[in-house]
Amino acid sequence: MTNQTPIIEMRGINKSFGAIRALQAVDFHLMPGEILGLVGDNSAGKSTLMKVLSGAYQRDTGDIRVAGEDVHFKSPHESRDRGIEMIYQDFALCGNIDVASNMFLGRWPRKGIFIDRKKMEDDADRVLKRLKVDVNSVRQRVESLSGGRQQSVAIARAISFDPKVIILDEPTANLSVMATNRLLETMAELKAQGVAQIIISHRLQDIFEVGDRVTVLKRGRIVGERYIKDTTEDEVLGLIVQGDRLEATAEA
Amino acid sequence: MATTTLDDPRPGAVRSHSPLRAIFGSWEFGLIVFMVALYLIGVWANPRFFGSADALLSILRDASRFGVIAVGMTFVIVNKDLDLSVGSTVALTSSVFSLMFAPQFNDMGPWVSMLIALGVGLGIGLTNGILVTYLRVPAFIATLTMLFMGRGLVLGLTKGRNIAYTEKAEQHLLFTIGDTNALGFSNQILVMVVIALIGGVILAKTRWGYETYATGGNATAANYAGINTHFVRIRGFLFSSFCAFLAGMMVVGQSKGVTSQDGFGAELIVIASVIVGGASILGGRGRVIGSVLGAILVVLIDKVLREGIPTTRIVKIGGEDIVVQAMAQMPPGAVPAFLGMILIAAVLIEPWVVRRRLIARIVARLRGLPPPLVNADGVAIATTGTHGSSLAASEVHATGLRKLLTYREVAAVSFMILLWLAGFILRPDFWAGLDNTFNLLLAFTEIGLMAVGMAYVIGNGDIDLSVGAILALSGATAAFMMKKMGADPATAAVTAFALGTFAGMINGFLATKARLPAFVATLGMFYMARGFAAWFVAGRQLSQFPESYNLIGRKVIETLRFYGIEPTPGTFWFNLFNAISAQTLVLFVLAIVFGVILWRTPFGYMVKATGGNRRAADYAGINTDRVRFLSLTFSGMCASLAGLVNIAFFRSFTPQAGVLRELDVIASVIIGGGSIFGGYGSVVGALAGAAVITLVRALLSLQVITSDGRSFVMPQNWVNVWIGSILILAVLSDIWLRQEKLLLRLRMRLRGKQTESAS
Ligand SMILES: Nc1ncnc2c1ncn2[C@@H]1O[C@H](COP(=O)(O)OP(=O)(O)O)[C@@H](O)[C@H]1O
Ligand SMILES: [Mg+2]
Repeated sequence: MTNQTPIIEMRGINKSFGAIRALQAVDFHLMPGEILGLVGDNSAGKSTLMKVLSGAYQRDTGDIRVAGEDVHFKSPHESRDRGIEMIYQDFALCGNIDVASNMFLGRWPRKGIFIDRKKMEDDADRVLKRLKVDVNSVRQRVESLSGGRQQSVAIARAISFDPKVIILDEPTANLSVMATNRLLETMAELKAQGVAQIIISHRLQDIFEVGDRVTVLKRGRIVGERYIKDTTEDEVLGLIVQGDRLEATAEA
Repeated sequence: MATTTLDDPRPGAVRSHSPLRAIFGSWEFGLIVFMVALYLIGVWANPRFFGSADALLSILRDASRFGVIAVGMTFVIVNKDLDLSVGSTVALTSSVFSLMFAPQFNDMGPWVSMLIALGVGLGIGLTNGILVTYLRVPAFIATLTMLFMGRGLVLGLTKGRNIAYTEKAEQHLLFTIGDTNALGFSNQILVMVVIALIGGVILAKTRWGYETYATGGNATAANYAGINTHFVRIRGFLFSSFCAFLAGMMVVGQSKGVTSQDGFGAELIVIASVIVGGASILGGRGRVIGSVLGAILVVLIDKVLREGIPTTRIVKIGGEDIVVQAMAQMPPGAVPAFLGMILIAAVLIEPWVVRRRLIARIVARLRGLPPPLVNADGVAIATTGTHGSSLAASEVHATGLRKLLTYREVAAVSFMILLWLAGFILRPDFWAGLDNTFNLLLAFTEIGLMAVGMAYVIGNGDIDLSVGAILALSGATAAFMMKKMGADPATAAVTAFALGTFAGMINGFLATKARLPAFVATLGMFYMARGFAAWFVAGRQLSQFPESYNLIGRKVIETLRFYGIEPTPGTFWFNLFNAISAQTLVLFVLAIVFGVILWRTPFGYMVKATGGNRRAADYAGINTDRVRFLSLTFSGMCASLAGLVNIAFFRSFTPQAGVLRELDVIASVIIGGGSIFGGYGSVVGALAGAAVITLVRALLSLQVITSDGRSFVMPQNWVNVWIGSILILAVLSDIWLRQEKLLLRLRMRLRGKQTESAS
C-alpha cells in the first residue's frame, strides 16, 4: 500500500465493563477503499471495538482519528455524520414496512404533510440498482424477503447515506450459502465504488473471498494482522486459536 | 464487586459475604422493618383498633388469601409472564363449589364439590398456559380476557345472586379451613404458611425452581440448554390457578357461601404484592417469602388507610348523645384508585430503586464515597422483533380480487357484512329499520372513537388497557362539574377532556420515561381512573344535565333546532340532519383526519416503524419515545371524547359506563388488521372491527323469533364470555393466519410443495 492517510485509525484503545477488560491497548487502522476482515473467538471484543468506533460505546482511553482528524463520537448518529455506517444484526430494518420506506427510515421524503411515495420509491430503486440488488418490488414488505436480500437492503440503506466506511457485524451468521454469495457480491460492488468496509465474521472463507486484509483479536488484544494475498486460512486460524502463545514466543 | 445494599432476591446472586449482612441487607428484611414501622404508626393513630392482638390476627387472616395466590403468582412472574385471571378464578371456583355443594342446587358432598372446583381451576390454568406458550398470545391479553370471561361465567352461573349454606357447611370438616382455631387465630393463616413453605422450597431449592429462573431470565438460553420452557410456563400458570382455587376454598370456608363479587380486584393486590416483595415484572427475579411479605404489607397499608383515622360519631339514643367509634368510611372507588397507584409504585421500585441502586447511591453520597457502578440499560422490555416469512412476496404481484385479499382489513369488512346479513335474516322486520340502524350507529360510535386512538397505540406495539376507565373518568368529571359544581356545559366538557387527556399523558409518561411496559402502566391507570370516577360521583348515578350539553349525543337536527336554524321539514338537508347524530359526525371527522395521518404522513410511518422494530427506528433517528407518548396521549383523548358523548347520549352518568370497553376496542383493532405485537393497523380497519364488535353485541341481545312464533334472547349475563372468546379468537387468527400464514402453509403442504425457507 502507498502511504495514504488511513480513513480510520485507532490507537491504544482501552475499554472495560466493570471487571471485564474487553479491549486492551488496541491499535487498529483501515485504509480507504479497503475490505478488512475482523476475526476472533466469541467475546474476543470484536463487536465492542466496532461499537467504540461508531460511538455506541465510549472508550476509556485511546485516540480515534477519522481521515487524520481526532474524533469523539458520543452516539452512532455522530459517526454517521462523518461517513461511518454500522449495520447492526438485529436492528437494521422494520420487517412490517416496505423496502422503500425502510431505506428512508426516519427521513422519508415529503410532499406537503404527506409522504412522497413516488420520489421515495424511485430513489430506493436507483440505489438498489446501483448495488445490483434484485428485489421484486420496493413496495414489498421486508419480512417477505429472504435473509440475504434483507441484508442487502440494510446495506443499501447504509449506502444511501453516502458513507466512506461500512461496518458489518456478522452479516452472514444466519444466511444460506446462496444468500452469502449474494452479499459478498454486493460487498465487492461497493468496494469497486470506493467504500471501505470492515466485516466481522466467523467464516474465514468469506473474508478470504472478498477481503484485502485480516486483523485477529483475542481476549481484547490484537494478536496478528495479515494481507490476504500473503496468508492462508490455516495461518489465520492458528492466530485465532493460539494467538497469545505465538505473540508470547515472539516477544521472548 | 461492591457490596449491594439491596440484596438480589434470587438464588445464586452475588451476596454480601457475612451472613448477618445477608439477612439485614436483604429486601425482605427491609419489608419487615417497614411493616413494623407502619404498624406502629397505626397503633399511634388509632390505638383502639391497632392496639389489640385481634387486629394483627385479622390483618394476617385477610392477607392470607392474597398471600396464597401470591405464592403461585411468584412462579408466573419469575417466568416473565403475568396472570390477571386469579381474581376471577377465585370467584369461579368458589361459585362452582357452591353450586355443587349448596342444598338448594346440586347438594353434593364437600369433597366431590371441591374436586369439581379444582378441575375448573386447573382448566383455567391450563388454558392460560397453552394460550401463552404454544399459541403465543401475550400473557396479559390471554389472562385479561380470562378475567372477564371468568366474571361473565360467574354471573351466568349464579345469575348474579348470592349463595349461602351456613347450616350444611357446619356439618363438614372442610369448612374449618376458614375458621378460627383453638389457638385463637384463623386456619387460613396456617394454610398460607404451609403453601408459602412448599412454594418457597420448590422455587429456591428444586429443579423446578431453577428451571423457572432460567426461563424468566433468558428463555432462549434456557431452551438451548434443553429446558422445555413451554412446559415450565404452563406449570407456572397451573400453580397460579391452583393457588387461586385454594383461596376460593378459603373464601367459602370463611363465609360459608359466595357472592359474585368475591375475589374482585385480587389480581391487582397480588401482582402488587409480588412486585413489592422484590420480584421483577421483567422476569427472572423474585422469592416466595418476599411475595408473601408483600401481600401482608399491601393489606396492612390498606388497613392503616382505612382505620388510621379514628372517627367518632354522635348518635342520639333516647334523647341522649352517645359517642360511638365509627369506621372512617372510604369513599367508593378510593380503594381501587389507591391499589392502582400501589401497583405502579411497586413496578417502579425495581428499575429505579433496585437496579439503579438508589439507596446505595444515597449512602455513598452521604459518606462522600464515589457512587457505585450502575448498569442502567436493559430496563425496558424490548419489543418483539419482526420475523420473516417469504410467502408474502406473492402479495405484491397479486391483481384484482386477489389483490384485495392481501389487505389486512378485508377480514373485518367481510365479517361486518356477514354479521349484518345474519341479523337481517333473523329479524327482517326489525334489523334494517331506522330505529335499529340508528342504535347500531350510536353503539358503534363509542367503540369507534376509542378504536381510532387504540389503532395508534397498538400500531406502536403498545396497548392501552385503560380506555374504558378513562371514558368513565371523563364522563364522571363532566357530570360532577355540571351537577355538583354548577359549571356550564362548555367548562365541564373542557375540564373533563383535559383530565382524560392528562390520564393518557400519565400512561405515556410511565411507558416511556419511566420505562414501564405499557400494559402495566395502563393496567394501573385502569384501576385508578375507574376508582376516581366512582369517587367523584360517590358511586351514584348523576343525571339531568343542561339540555345544551346533551346535544352532543343527539341528532344534528336537534342542535339546529336548539339554535333556531332548522331547515324546513321534508327537504334534503332536513332528512340528512335528522338521520345523523352529532357524535357520528365527530367520529367521522376524527376518523378521516387521523386515518390519513396514520396512513400516509411521516408520523404514521413513525408509528409503524416504532411498532415494527423499535431499536431500528431509534437508530434511524426517530424519537420513538415521543411517538409512543403522543399515541398514548391521543388514545386518552379519544377515550375522554367517548366519555363526553356517552353521558350526553344517556343524559346521565352511571359508574357502569365503559365497563369492558377495553376488550371491545382492542378486539376491534385486532380484527381490523392490527397486530398485538405492533407494526400493523389502520383506522379504516379499526372502524370495520368496531362495526363487527357492535354487530356481535347487537346480535347477542337480539330477540330472535322462531318459526313457531316463540321468541328467544340470549341471557345477557353470558355476553362477556362471548366477547372474550371473540377477542382471543381475533388475536389467535392474527398470529396464526395473518402472521404465520397457517392456511397458506397447509395448502402448500397439501400440494406437496416445499415452502421456501424463511431465513
Ligand atoms: N454492554 C456490556 N456490558 C458488559 N459487558 C460487555 C458489554 N458488551 C460486551 N461486554 C463484554 O465484553 C467482552 C467482549 O464482547 P464482544 O465485543 O461482544 O465480543 P465479540 O463480538 O468478539 O464476540 C465480552 O466478555 C462481553 O461479555
Ligand atoms: Mg459480537
